[in-house]
Amino acid sequence: MTAYLVRRIGQSVAVVIGVMILTFVLIHMEPGSAARATLGTHATASRIAIFNSTYGLNEPLDRQFVTYLDQVVHGNLGTSYALQQPVSSLIAQRLPRDFLLLGLSTVLALLIALPLGIYQAVRRNGIGDYVYTGIAFTLYSMPDFFFAILLIAVFSVQLQILPPEAPQATTVAGMLADPRALVLPVVTLALISVASYSRYMRSSAIDTLAQDYIRVTRAKGLPERLVLSRHVLRNSLLPVVTLVGLSFPTIVAGAVIAEAVFNYPGMGLLFYQAATSHDFPVLLGSTLVVGVATVIGSLAADLVYAVLDPRVRYGHA
Amino acid sequence: MRVPRWTAAVAIVVITVLAACSGGGGTSAGHGRTGGTVTMAWVGASPNFIFPLAPATNTNGYNENLTEPLWPALVYDGDGGKTAVNPQESLFSSITYSNGDKKVTIDLKHWNWSDGKPVTSRDFTFVYNLLKANVPNWWLYVPGLFPDGVSSVTTPSADTVVLNLTHSYNPTFYTDDVLSLVQILPQHAWDKTSTSGPVGNDDETTSGAKAVYAFLQKEGGQMSTFTTNPLWKVVDGPWKLASFTSNGAWDYVPNKEYSGPDKPFLARMNNVPYTTDTAELNALRSGSSITVGTLPLNDISQKGILKTEGYTVASVPFPAVANITLNLYNGSVGPVLSQLYIRQVLEDLINRPQIVSKVYNGLADPGNGPISVQAFPSWVSPLENSGGPYPYSPSTATALLKAHGWKVTPNGTTTCQRPGSGASDCGGGITAGQPLSFQLLYSSGTASMDEQEAAIQSSEAQAGVKISLRPEPYNTLAANVGTCTASSHPAATCGWQLVDFGYQPNSLYPAGNGFFNTGGYNNFGGYSNPEMNDLINATEYGSSTSAFFTYEDYAARQLPWLWIPLPANISVYKSNLQGFTPLNPLTGGLNPEVWYYSS
Repeated sequence: MTAYLVRRIGQSVAVVIGVMILTFVLIHMEPGSAARATLGTHATASRIAIFNSTYGLNEPLDRQFVTYLDQVVHGNLGTSYALQQPVSSLIAQRLPRDFLLLGLSTVLALLIALPLGIYQAVRRNGIGDYVYTGIAFTLYSMPDFFFAILLIAVFSVQLQILPPEAPQATTVAGMLADPRALVLPVVTLALISVASYSRYMRSSAIDTLAQDYIRVTRAKGLPERLVLSRHVLRNSLLPVVTLVGLSFPTIVAGAVIAEAVFNYPGMGLLFYQAATSHDFPVLLGSTLVVGVATVIGSLAADLVYAVLDPRVRYGHA
Repeated sequence: MRVPRWTAAVAIVVITVLAACSGGGGTSAGHGRTGGTVTMAWVGASPNFIFPLAPATNTNGYNENLTEPLWPALVYDGDGGKTAVNPQESLFSSITYSNGDKKVTIDLKHWNWSDGKPVTSRDFTFVYNLLKANVPNWWLYVPGLFPDGVSSVTTPSADTVVLNLTHSYNPTFYTDDVLSLVQILPQHAWDKTSTSGPVGNDDETTSGAKAVYAFLQKEGGQMSTFTTNPLWKVVDGPWKLASFTSNGAWDYVPNKEYSGPDKPFLARMNNVPYTTDTAELNALRSGSSITVGTLPLNDISQKGILKTEGYTVASVPFPAVANITLNLYNGSVGPVLSQLYIRQVLEDLINRPQIVSKVYNGLADPGNGPISVQAFPSWVSPLENSGGPYPYSPSTATALLKAHGWKVTPNGTTTCQRPGSGASDCGGGITAGQPLSFQLLYSSGTASMDEQEAAIQSSEAQAGVKISLRPEPYNTLAANVGTCTASSHPAATCGWQLVDFGYQPNSLYPAGNGFFNTGGYNNFGGYSNPEMNDLINATEYGSSTSAFFTYEDYAARQLPWLWIPLPANISVYKSNLQGFTPLNPLTGGLNPEVWYYSS
């Protein structure tokens, strides 16, 4: 297991460096000038010169990359051209917000989807299965901005029982202190995710229910509740674990639409705005964070496999 | 950075109350009501720099919204609903021009800083010294103006500053467009090079001024210390900064030591950022605590709902002019666009009245020429007032094209049949068979903008002018649209043909320097005309009042840009908030000191 871990971490570092190189090159291949994009109609020749000198954009590309790597190694992700703040500060402000919002919505989605998937598997092709499948597909196919605005229109504008904005506090504790404001964004993101999780769970549970050991447990008289919770649930979780592991970078990358609609500036909006304004340091910093999250998510999923399925023997892989 | 200074400054102001909405007007004088909190919503961006002399790399116009209430400019823009200097609110008591308009004598009012020290002429020289040593690293720097155009500064007394200029300027131009950019800063508190260092006269040497400037700029970017740094606690404006959070929200409380005429009535003013106007509209509709906000023109139909939530809806013209910029040095269409008659054809085919009424619900400046008719009524010539030199006329456009040797194909593509540079030919550099076809880049993300460009595309087609539309995010446009001139038109940044950025701001004295003069800093398309240069110079350096109209009419006729309508800004405010109207396009809602609640 240790050797496996070391090998995987080594691979992960290589992947992250590869992502950095690729991103750096691609960003600098983007047509147009970062100085012009940032300065807009203020982009006089002298200002462009100051801008390029300030941010080292007048250096050869390879030297810029070496400088950037050196900064990253020393914990400096650079300064945002547009926001004029250290990228690390911007990420530190926004990442916890996304962790909270998307983390809560993922947990809620799983809490709904896992039992729902098993229920649908057990009642396969019954009325309940069809009804929940219909609901799940409806939610899944609904654009998140539309669903968000729909919920706001009903619960905030018409009934005025929930605020239309996510919490505006700048700390996680502050945001948790305003739970009513979390309801609509969390529910929006959770419900549109339920379909994918529940469909995977349903499919996996159907396979599990057909296994001989399930028949054996039933034949031995184990109550159905225990059959489902101890044997079906655990053995059906593997595909969902993969899905959750792969959604970890999504959590880190933010939810641009939800952030825009619910006035919740997070990583998604940060990245989007950086992408449209040639804000290279933010793009690089965000990509680095998402890259790291991707390898961590993948690694975590592999490790959870081992916990869930003893047949997996990483140490002998 | 999408929002230039003027736009940020006018993001929430009101001058014309919509017909259906009548509450909220009036003056604050003598009402005797104090207290209460106003919450103002800001959409799309927030400040990130508090030192008023921001570096050239930081063009966030919202910074000015943050700092103007703390450190007002020497010259206060906006007098009631008029786009004019407001002497009562200004820090100067008089500005006198002499020696053939080469000498400016500024007398300061007896104002105090919030720490009790007087505002003096030394504070002016502090700003001058800092800028002189650090130009061009100042975001409002315009080559040749302040401080370049000042040969010396003297201070005969603590209340008097004398500027000797390098040459004569039109006093109106210099006061309105130059001195209005100068914010007076507290030398006695800021003239230092480190946090723990003593305050001295470091600014009086070039190296010292550089060190002070670098120190203040470094401190000015530390958002976490905006409210705690002792530097920023010394103000002379009506407000003090009470809080500033990392998500861009900030609060003001009244500066009890404010020496100006309008002491704030409100107990607090909160400024709250919104990621999008959709989020802000949702908040407005759900009975939020927002007191003042904005409304996208596309959502004007929501005004009835907002009224039931206790809001009044109002509009204000932008102090700007909307335009389509023409690349006269584009490799394929530059020679075509260089022909004045072609520009006339393009303008003749823009149905501006229809765009105003159908696309903008009547809430737009007509776009008759280089000056906004609605925002700058006192600067609008009779020609512009009457609709401009080129009213919508497809027949005139068609006749012009035929007279110059083009085969006009309505709803097809008109082509040149008589190449050559004669009076009845297509024009120099235009080849036989060349199509009248252009690509129009425009700033994406606004439905009404999409509709406007589609309307232009449709009306231009009536004379066979083919316009292909390409929307792009503003910053992408800015990144790719390079300045193209006779001496420099690299293919990489001069591939664009027509571009609509949305608008260009007019200053208080709305002359054309920078836009239409040869080599002007905003002259992207390379327009160059000696007569235009002379007329612009006449508006800035001479004192003739007729010079402005002469320049204006010439620009309107010459079409260095195509003139198009500019939508107004729509604001909403709680109906019990008094003193909000009439506000001024130039002050941009930055005078909440005159607001108060009626109940």
